[in-house]
Amino acid sequence: MKNWGLALSAVVLAATLSGCTESKETKEIKLAYVAWDSEIASTNVVKYVLESKLNYKVELMQVDAGPMWAGIADGSADAMVAAWLPTTHASYLEKYGKELEDLGPNLNGTKTGLVVPSYMKENSIEDLKQGEIGDKVDHKIIGIEPGAGIMSSTEQALKDYGLDADWQLVESSSAAMATELQKAFDAKKPIIVTGWTPHWMFAKMELKYLTDSKGVYGGDEKIHTMVRKGLKEDMSDAYKMLDQFQWNPDDMAEVMVEIQGGKSPEDASKAWVDAHEKEVKVWLEGI
Amino acid sequence: MNIPKLPIGDWIETLEAWLEAHFAPLFDVIRILIGSLVDFLQSVLLLGPPILIVLLASTLAWIAGKWRFAALAFVGLLLIVNLGYWEHAMETLAIVLTASLLSIIIGVPLGILCARSRVSQNVVTPVLDFMQTMPAFVYLLPAVSFFSLGVVPGVIASIIFAVPPTIRLTNLGIRQVPHELVEAAEAFGSTPNQMLFKLQLPMALPTMMAGINQTIMLSLSMVVISSMIGAQGLGADVYRAVTQTKTGTGFEAGISIVVLAILLDRLTQRIVKKQKTQR
Repeated sequence: MKNWGLALSAVVLAATLSGCTESKETKEIKLAYVAWDSEIASTNVVKYVLESKLNYKVELMQVDAGPMWAGIADGSADAMVAAWLPTTHASYLEKYGKELEDLGPNLNGTKTGLVVPSYMKENSIEDLKQGEIGDKVDHKIIGIEPGAGIMSSTEQALKDYGLDADWQLVESSSAAMATELQKAFDAKKPIIVTGWTPHWMFAKMELKYLTDSKGVYGGDEKIHTMVRKGLKEDMSDAYKMLDQFQWNPDDMAEVMVEIQGGKSPEDASKAWVDAHEKEVKVWLEGI
Repeated sequence: MNIPKLPIGDWIETLEAWLEAHFAPLFDVIRILIGSLVDFLQSVLLLGPPILIVLLASTLAWIAGKWRFAALAFVGLLLIVNLGYWEHAMETLAIVLTASLLSIIIGVPLGILCARSRVSQNVVTPVLDFMQTMPAFVYLLPAVSFFSLGVVPGVIASIIFAVPPTIRLTNLGIRQVPHELVEAAEAFGSTPNQMLFKLQLPMALPTMMAGINQTIMLSLSMVVISSMIGAQGLGADVYRAVTQTKTGTGFEAGISIVVLAILLDRLTQRIVKKQKTQR
């Protein structure tokens, strides 16, 4: 048995060594991301910059949020620009935080909360207690995937505002939530959803956040860049670019709306990068 | 009733950590083997221009079935090319073929074992029930921690989900061989191996092929779930389309999966029919 283990380790070692020498020559990098509109935009922009400016061959891996964190932690992917902190991905940070390197925020000023169409007269979460709004929407708030940070924040909000007795948070998915919202908006019907910025829904519809006077949803969220341990030594130029990558919600929304309008993510990113040479220059400083 | 909550979750996580700590080299070997197999199949399928594979598959369909089936294969695959999903479809096909192939390699011997001994059947059956009913999402994270992101955990998850029919129907097929025939073979002094290869397996083949056919279909149904752990291809296209609320795109990628499914399904069924008519 022992010998077996040794033999196997030798095989693996040989395989990994040969793998390493190869990647040195061709400069390949793996980026993991989740298929959210915001992350599709940012990851594709980073991919285009790495390919066109630093001659990397970039492999994109579209996965689910949990596997994305797990993949960076165990080194099967090199980096991601899609960590929503401090709230949304808090549970992943707790589990994998020690095994990866946080390069800080690449986007400030994201926001999560309850979102309604702007034609509704309710303006704050307190307003949900009064009047007929509860009956109109059947006391339901349309949520997203169970387990998402925004879902636990919303459960907490219902408790803190004393709405938990008759209101219900419906678990669905980001896609189903957006579809419901679009349907209600087109029919000018009342609807309450869990929403976040940056998201294309704000570009396509007139929406507003319900004021959260108790601050249950926390302050603004930031999107962080996370890389695997050892990337700095292996690919210093890509590491530096990822470290310096930073933009704002408006930039991201530009790319998102283009994609939502039918452009391919590659084309939309290329167009944005070509039009924003000044910003991109900052990301590449000193490389 | 004052029984404290059983810490099943903690046990599972402890087991996971223990496996990860002690079997890492083994997992790495499995990962490299399966990864190379998928890569090899992918590169073969994407070697020439698509039309080459389309013609090859149509020829295969023509050999296996009638010209109508060949025409269906030709049109269906051209549709995939036309929709722009060829490359992703071949990635998916490589994953499905690898998962099915490994399922057969694992499943057929286990099925034979179950047919030969009641004890192993009694052990294997509940395990199979467990594998088929446990929601596949549950093993996504352990699969990533054992095999890293990529096609490999996807293939492994597909095998777990898809291997049971091959095992069950191989077992059933062998057990259904008429008793008189087995007795006759024994009377003529056949060894257990002769019995297996000359009588039981040939007789059981149609039933086994039905199991293998189901296995292929089940591994196709895993492509979207596998895409969440890095097995790209059509599954990732469907998943992305759904998260972006693009029903149209989702259906386009979905239809490509349907084409692959129909072709694989008919091909495996035809092989069985051919076997039957030859006898």
